[in-house]
Order: sequence, then structure tokens, then C-alpha cells
Amino acid sequence: MSTIERLKKLFINKFDFNVEELKPDTTLEHLGLDSLDKIEFMFDIENEFKIKIPDEEFKVTTIQDMVDAVDRFVSEQVSRSPDLAMSH
Amino acid sequence: MGIISPCGNNIGDFWVKVAAGKSGVRKISSEYANLLSAKIAAEVDFNPSDYFGKKQVSYLDRVNQFALAAASEAWKDAALSLDAKEKERSGVYMGVGLGGANAIEDGYVRLFKQNEDRVKPLSVLMIMNNASASYISIEYGLTGPCLTISTACASSANAIGEAFRQIRDGYADVMLAGGAESFLTYGCFRSWEALRVLAAEDPEDPSKSCKPFSKNRSGLVLGEGAAVVVLEELERAIHRGAPLYAEIIGYGSTSDAFHITKPSLEGQSRAISEALGDAGISPETVDYINAHGTATQWNDLLETQAVKKVFGDGAYKIPISSTKSMHGHAIGAAGAIEFIVSLLALKNQAIPPTINLDQRDPECDLDYVPNIGRKGVRVNTVMSNSFAFGGTNAVLLARKM
Repeated sequence: MSTIERLKKLFINKFDFNVEELKPDTTLEHLGLDSLDKIEFMFDIENEFKIKIPDEEFKVTTIQDMVDAVDRFVSEQVSRSPDLAMSH
Repeated sequence: MGIISPCGNNIGDFWVKVAAGKSGVRKISSEYANLLSAKIAAEVDFNPSDYFGKKQVSYLDRVNQFALAAASEAWKDAALSLDAKEKERSGVYMGVGLGGANAIEDGYVRLFKQNEDRVKPLSVLMIMNNASASYISIEYGLTGPCLTISTACASSANAIGEAFRQIRDGYADVMLAGGAESFLTYGCFRSWEALRVLAAEDPEDPSKSCKPFSKNRSGLVLGEGAAVVVLEELERAIHRGAPLYAEIIGYGSTSDAFHITKPSLEGQSRAISEALGDAGISPETVDYINAHGTATQWNDLLETQAVKKVFGDGAYKIPISSTKSMHGHAIGAAGAIEFIVSLLALKNQAIPPTINLDQRDPECDLDYVPNIGRKGVRVNTVMSNSFAFGGTNAVLLARKM
């Protein structure tokens, strides 16, 4: 499943949104997410993608920003995991 | 008024059960139940999705969900509509004993049992004791005083009493007051078990385990729930044609300053006398007492003595019941749940029983309305007693309008 599909699934599990509301250019502000919602959602993202999101590095405005940030963390953190490093 | 309780999640259902002597005590459903010596509690049947969207289901501890659900029923019942100026003169006082006990337990399980390094992001907001009052204040936009009172088993009786004074002393016109508690976790059961105050499970019928004032009483049964009443300045309420249940006429608040768990005759009787004095009524005016009645050896004995000390021979003429025999001991919510029982006794001119009272204790020899409730009784003035661990005593008095 693509990153955006996985994020949409997290959104729907956590909030009362319809999947149609969740487009790449939809802003979090438009969805009415406040700072606490963002903190909660970061926790779910960390669980889903097995990543750690540093406090200062999740400045996202749209869902596409979120996809890009998650992909970046995944490529940085998952590919640098000790198991993978060993295989190089 | 509004309620979430082991005997029903609205005022109508609650009264039907309590008046009929139906117990909300039962075997604990959780997986850890078989580890406990007494596998019983008064649990609330509550599906959060019936009340909240997904977000609130996940953000709010069960205790705050109870509080908001009870407040919602109370708010609708009172048919209030306040403008911004009136909201400044409206507040919330809630009694909460242990805050978000479920979130605390969940966090510890994650950290110490599952060796995770994170707890739920909003744990602080779920755990803090004042969350229930604050969420109610936010929900209804009430911008007057918003306080949380934590005096264990007396918390919500104190909250209602203090809210009453807030209005009487002219600081507010409308107060939502009550209490909430939800702490039926493995850790809490173990803590109460360790204190040796929990009732032994009745071998024949677990729902009959809580036996207040009975010779064979063995302790309290833990409960949970929330109860909220809307208090309003009398002239204002009459003027707008509000549905009125009763007038609060007195409040007594004392401390034993004696022992952290052992009750004191002096502290309890003084709270009762103080409430009567505050109301300016004589003891024989009281038609019904909802007892603290935890079913511990000490409470029921001392409470009986305290009532006798204040009411003299008249004590034998007043029907007294401990409805904890049915809804268990909901600690922070107990006082408000029982105050609502008292108001419903006024409204229905009926008195709920103390169930499971099968063996008379010669030292507890008052009229505890054993096992069968009474209908068609003249009930004009009611008293509700709450006596807490810590030695805090709170007594509320109300009368029919």
C-alpha cells in the first residue's frame, strides 16, 4: 500500500473524516486539526511506519507534505537500521 | 440532572433499578479478574461511540467520558440557554478522586510490561484530575469558576456543597456540579484489596456482596460512574420556568483531623449538625437520609452512632438507606450519585431500599429500609451523607419546592 493510502487509513481510524475529504493538497487546517490532533497523529504515524519523528521536524501543511516527510523519515531511518547496514 | 452508573446511564433507568432494589454489582469482566480474591465490582455498561466521535473516544479517559455524558443529560434536562454574559456567571465544580486512572495504568503497562518507550501522547490530559471539569466548561462555554475538588469519597458532595455556596454567596448564577470516577483497573483493585476494605464475594450470588448495615457486612464494592446536577439561583430558575427538582437548603463540611481511614463520630455528627444549622431546620424535619453506608464495619457503625447523636430518639423514625448496596462505591462520583438518589426520592415520594440486609446488627438498629423500597411516602426534606478517607465529611440537605 502506498504511503498516502496508509496515511488515509490512519486518518479514518482516528478522526471522523470521509476518505473523499483527504486529497494530497488538503491542508491540515482545512481538516480542522489542532496542535493536539497533530501530536496524536504523529504517534499513529510512528507506529504505522516504525519511525521516530523528531519534535522539530514535522512542519507539514498538506497531506502531500505529510507523505513526503514520512517517506523521508522511512528512507533515513529504516534503511539505516543495523540489520540493513550489516548487509552492505 | 444526569447520570452514568452501574444501575443505568440515564436518570429514568437509574431510578427504576434503584427504587426496585436491583443490584449493579456483578463479576468483573476483565481478564485479570481471576487473579483477585474478590472478583466483583459495580461496572458501568458504556459504549463511548454512543456519545462521542472517534477523536473524543481516543482522547478522553473513561472518567472524562462519563463526566461529559452525565453533564450532557443534566444540561438538556435543565433546558438552559445562556448568553455570553450569563456564561460568565456560570461555572463547573466537579469531584474526582483518582483522575484518569485508566490512562495511568495504560501508560505503566506500556512502559513497564511491554517495554515500550512511549505512552499515549495526550496522557497528561487524560490523567489530570481537573480534566472532567474543564471539558464540561469547554463543552458549554461556561466561563465562571471551574474547580476540581478531590476529597476521596466525599469529593462530589463537597463539589455540590461548594457550588451551592458559590450561588448563595452571589458569585455565580448557574453551576454544573457533580463528580466522576473510573478506576476499575488491575492496579486499583490490588491497592484496595491491600487495604482490606473490600467486600468478600457472596458465594451464592456475587451481586449481593455489598451488605451495608447487615451483621455479615464485609466491606465495600468498588464502583464507577458520574453524576451532575445543574444548580441555579432560585429566583432566576423560577423566572425562566426551569424544571425544578428541589431547593438545596444546607451544607455541612468538616474534617475529623483524627485518622486517615478510621471515621470519627465527632467529625461526622458535626457535619450533620452543621448542615441542619446551615439550613435552619430542626432534625425532625428530615424525612430521608441517604447514608454513606459503605458496608465496612467501621463506617456503618460510626454513621449509625452519628445519626443517633444528632437526631436522638428521632433517629429511629427516619428511613435511611445505603444505595451503595446497588451502585457500589464510586468514590469521587459517590456523593453526587447519592445526592441524585435523594432528589429522586423527593420527586417520586418514594424511598429506595438498602439491599442485602439480611442479618440485623444489634449495633446498627435504625430503619435502613431493608431490601424493599417504599412508595407513597411523604418525603419533603432529604439528607445525603458522604464521609471520606482522609476524614473529610460532607452533608447535603435539600427540600421539595
